[in-house]
Amino acid sequence: MSTAVVKRAGAPAGRSGHGLARHLKRYWQLWAMVLPATAFVLVFAYVPMYGIQLAFREFDFTAGLTGGRFVGLKYFQQFFDSPMFATLMRNTVLISITTLVLGFIAPIILALLINQLVRSRIKRWVQTITYLPHFISVVVIVGMLQVFLSPSDGLLTRLLASIGISGTNFLGDTGSFVPVYVLSDIWQHAGWNSIIYLAALAGVNTQLYEAARIDGANRWQLIRHVDIPALVPTMIILLILNMGNVLNTGFEKVFLMQNTLNLPISEVISTYTYKIGILSSQFSYSTAIGLFNTLINFTFLVLANRIAKRVSDTSLW
Amino acid sequence: MNTCTRAPAFSRRTMLRSLAAATAVTAAGGTLAACSSGSGSGGSNQLRILVLKHPLTKPMAQMAWTKQLEDVAGIPIAWEEVSADWDQKKSTMLAAGDVPDLIVGTGAISDSDLATYGTLFEDLSDDLDAIPNVKEMLAAKPELTALATQSSGAIYAVPGYKRFWPPTVQHQYINRQWLDALGLEMPTTWDELYDVLVAFKEGDPTGTGAKVIPMDWSPVGTTGFGYFQSVLLLGSTGLPLSSGGGQGYFLQDGKVSNFLIDERYRDVMVFLSKCYAAGLISAEVLTQDYSAYQSAARGPGDGVATVGFTWGWTRSDRFGPEIYEQYEAMPVLAQKAGQTTPVAWSYDGLGENFPANQIVVSASTPNKEAALKVLNAFYDREMSLQVLFGDIGPNIEKVDESTYKVLPAEDGTDPSTWKWTSTLADNGPMWIRDDITVELPTDLQEAIDETVPLQPAIDNMDLEKDVYPTQFIKMTAEDISAMALVNTTMLNTTQTKFADWITNGGVEEQWDDYLATVKASGIEGNIAKMQQYYDDYMASKQ
Amino acid sequence: MTTTSLSSGRSRRARRPHSRRRRWSSGERLFDLGVLLACALVVFATLYPIYFVLIASISDSGAVATGQVVLLPKRLSLFGYEQILGDARIWTGYRNTIVYTAVGTALNLAVTLPAAFALSRREFRPRRPLMLFFAFTMFFSGGLIPTYLLYKDLGLLDNWLVFILPSAVNVYNLIIARSFFENSLPEELYEAATLDGADYFRFFGTIALPLSKAIISVIGLYYLVQHWNDFFTGLIFVRDYAKQPLQIVLRDILLSNQAFSGGAGGGGGSGGAYAQRYADQIKYGVIVVSTLPVIVVYPFLQKYFEKGVLIGAVKG
Repeated sequence: MSTAVVKRAGAPAGRSGHGLARHLKRYWQLWAMVLPATAFVLVFAYVPMYGIQLAFREFDFTAGLTGGRFVGLKYFQQFFDSPMFATLMRNTVLISITTLVLGFIAPIILALLINQLVRSRIKRWVQTITYLPHFISVVVIVGMLQVFLSPSDGLLTRLLASIGISGTNFLGDTGSFVPVYVLSDIWQHAGWNSIIYLAALAGVNTQLYEAARIDGANRWQLIRHVDIPALVPTMIILLILNMGNVLNTGFEKVFLMQNTLNLPISEVISTYTYKIGILSSQFSYSTAIGLFNTLINFTFLVLANRIAKRVSDTSLW
Repeated sequence: MNTCTRAPAFSRRTMLRSLAAATAVTAAGGTLAACSSGSGSGGSNQLRILVLKHPLTKPMAQMAWTKQLEDVAGIPIAWEEVSADWDQKKSTMLAAGDVPDLIVGTGAISDSDLATYGTLFEDLSDDLDAIPNVKEMLAAKPELTALATQSSGAIYAVPGYKRFWPPTVQHQYINRQWLDALGLEMPTTWDELYDVLVAFKEGDPTGTGAKVIPMDWSPVGTTGFGYFQSVLLLGSTGLPLSSGGGQGYFLQDGKVSNFLIDERYRDVMVFLSKCYAAGLISAEVLTQDYSAYQSAARGPGDGVATVGFTWGWTRSDRFGPEIYEQYEAMPVLAQKAGQTTPVAWSYDGLGENFPANQIVVSASTPNKEAALKVLNAFYDREMSLQVLFGDIGPNIEKVDESTYKVLPAEDGTDPSTWKWTSTLADNGPMWIRDDITVELPTDLQEAIDETVPLQPAIDNMDLEKDVYPTQFIKMTAEDISAMALVNTTMLNTTQTKFADWITNGGVEEQWDDYLATVKASGIEGNIAKMQQYYDDYMASKQ
Repeated sequence: MTTTSLSSGRSRRARRPHSRRRRWSSGERLFDLGVLLACALVVFATLYPIYFVLIASISDSGAVATGQVVLLPKRLSLFGYEQILGDARIWTGYRNTIVYTAVGTALNLAVTLPAAFALSRREFRPRRPLMLFFAFTMFFSGGLIPTYLLYKDLGLLDNWLVFILPSAVNVYNLIIARSFFENSLPEELYEAATLDGADYFRFFGTIALPLSKAIISVIGLYYLVQHWNDFFTGLIFVRDYAKQPLQIVLRDILLSNQAFSGGAGGGGGSGGAYAQRYADQIKYGVIVVSTLPVIVVYPFLQKYFEKGVLIGAVKG
């Protein structure tokens, strides 16, 4: 932090009259390093962005992507006025926020836990095993949920009944949809997501432990005062990035888990967009909904970034 | 911190420069990429045929009949084989206007696609002389002309004729062995069915004490109904269904309506909810996937059955080779004893025997001549048979010039698997001639036999006035999308209520509120539109 | 079991001269026990479903779907694997995926790491607008159709480069790598290097990279898995089956079950005994076949996580 301030203060060249030449002379290597990435993003992400205007036009195949009649905010209005709007928003936010919060905390706890394992062989095994479920495809995960949670003979249903939780059809009950969705998500991805934290923990200066030890810190205090602070920058960055997902839910999993019983809670923006967009070619409408989704997400990202910058000096930009 | 948020002028200029550089880099990359794509688009030395096939169907190149097609075409055929996620692939491909020379697959390109993207495809109405088989087929089967022709008069997609399919693909089964074991009669009404199911549940019909599922049906989707589902009970009330129920629209006496807002549907829901409350319906009926649903009916093994009453395509398909003989195909039940309303069933034969949109040709193909030759060859007499059942030789025996026999698999694979792994089967374009004799595979024969008990109910239906001719009617793109939007909203309510009523009851108390909600979604507008289209269609047939 | 591993762990630790945990109390032991128990729980919860995938892949599908397969496979059969491995497309798919993954990941790292380093330099002031430029694309995209048209113009359709070029930079990974460089490379190192006359290239190549093996392996793994699991590119942009990656082939096999259910009537009851008896077997077998190689890679990368400790040493 302090060095950064020094650097900034020590580089007045940028603001002086003939700064460009000096800037380039000094930083051309950095430019060269960032340029290829910039070029790829420019071409593959920015060039197609003209497609966004489809949200404001009538999709007319014969007229081309940019040739449809301009209809302004018609499709946004249509979405806001839709009888589905309130339900979709509620469900989407509920599912994504729950996933976001719990899915954010779980890998941190897991990483701290694994990091506490003293024997490196056990540590590696635990790490490898918890990382495995990440590779099971969604189709199979949902298939396994079907088998494990089947109301009549599912393994988990029986297990839960033995500890007094019974009488619920976990696959159909509107009250259990979110817990099942989120917990299975955590089960699947916590190990994978903890990798980044484990890498951060591996970077902790061992002398910090020694010093804390000498001060008489116990294991719990080591975690609190050494490990967790080491994770904070990564946590903040990931949290900011996650905040940009408030309106995103995994389409495929929700879609596959959907049935007529849980539909009141499981219809989310992405499944609705799929139903109207892909299945009935309403490109303008689905683009508009997508854009609305994006705008909300982006707003949250910008807010999160601003707050993070204020309180911790870690930020995306 | 402030200095950083103010972007200095030089950096903006630098960025512009870097943009220019980036564009140059990619331009180079682009040419590079273009050079390395050998067989990319535009190769006119081969015919690119996209084919929608079943995932377990063997590669096209391994079917002998594809060689015959290649000979006809005169140039090599490059098969682009698609199985999974076709909807996603298609919607991008069509919207981007990028289609191969031919697209093969029943319904691969839907009527709604044609309404929006029709111009991407060759209008075949003026090419009929180049495709004599199709021309002949349209003359022999006048229904197909309506099926193929858009409201503009253009023919973008060629339909087919499959001839052998029974009028319904949905059959109703009960476990005869259980009835006998418990000394019960075959039920003929809902009340009798209810009593029988209670007896199944409580009387240990298997004699093993095994848990039984008195009634079960296939998973109901959130976007509509399909085959082998409990809405088939609507037939008992005299409400005629077609093709499984779909989004609820039906035709009776020339009037379009939707059963989701029909009192007879309410009756069915009351009955189902009564059965569910009595524990007669599988606890998983609303949450299981297709795989679990099929497995349950096959029993735990050792010749023991699990399911008492259900619907399916054929007994051997539904219950598996071990126990299917315990079951018997049933006639349609009456809603009440002594009811005067004639019962009905689901008429699926139109869609099965007259499959629409089997093949399309790109309007911009550089090989139009070869494309038309291939299209024509698909509708050849023997080719059609081979496309449906497999190669002459391993799959079909040619007895004489007009007699064929579909052979069973040498290794004992069941007939339907044998067919689907060997060839395109029902996905392929075909015209099965009426003047040839074919000894059918056992599964198809079984389905035909099991339709017999349902035949009287089907005979009660007037094909002109009780079956909505969905595939013969060509709607405009605007109507299709407006109606789809209404249906998406409407089904969100109705499918939820369907599940809710079955598990929790309350149909009668909630019915009026439900009607109001469903009507608010605009269902009546859809009904009116469909009525208009139907009336126009009927008028045009005169 | 826990006690033995605990005690052996202790003796091992005791042998280490400079162990960071030197004093032992009953509280510490309790803590270790708690950690082990918690891990055992996590491992069991994770391992059982994996084990289930394995036994389900060799059991009769009906038994799997009706919950009869719990601890041991039932009505054992290798049909699923015969079917999967006997499918010639699988091998082409494997080859393609390995090529796409190897080339793709190499390009990813070559593009991402330098960019992340440049963006991590606090004195490089354009980094803020540049970060915004990158982050923006995580949210706003033009949609599939314009993307398709762009690829068409660039000749990327049905071209293997479509698996490599468009995904060259993943902004998420770029941000993570940048934040690592920013937080783990001590500023003093850079100053010392500058005094020795190093420029950015040299600093990056000889000091930053060697010190960042942990993050390189993490980012590398992220990219590798991203390529390995990518089916969407093949789905939308490639029609030539010979160029399809493994995931598309597997997805075709995987979804065959669903295809049957949807098309039951359409195909005249195409369900068929076959699909039923083996559908799940194939489904679970596919997971095993497609995951094995990625699992094998992990332990190789894992060891680099421990190398990260170096940074601390230098810093101290």
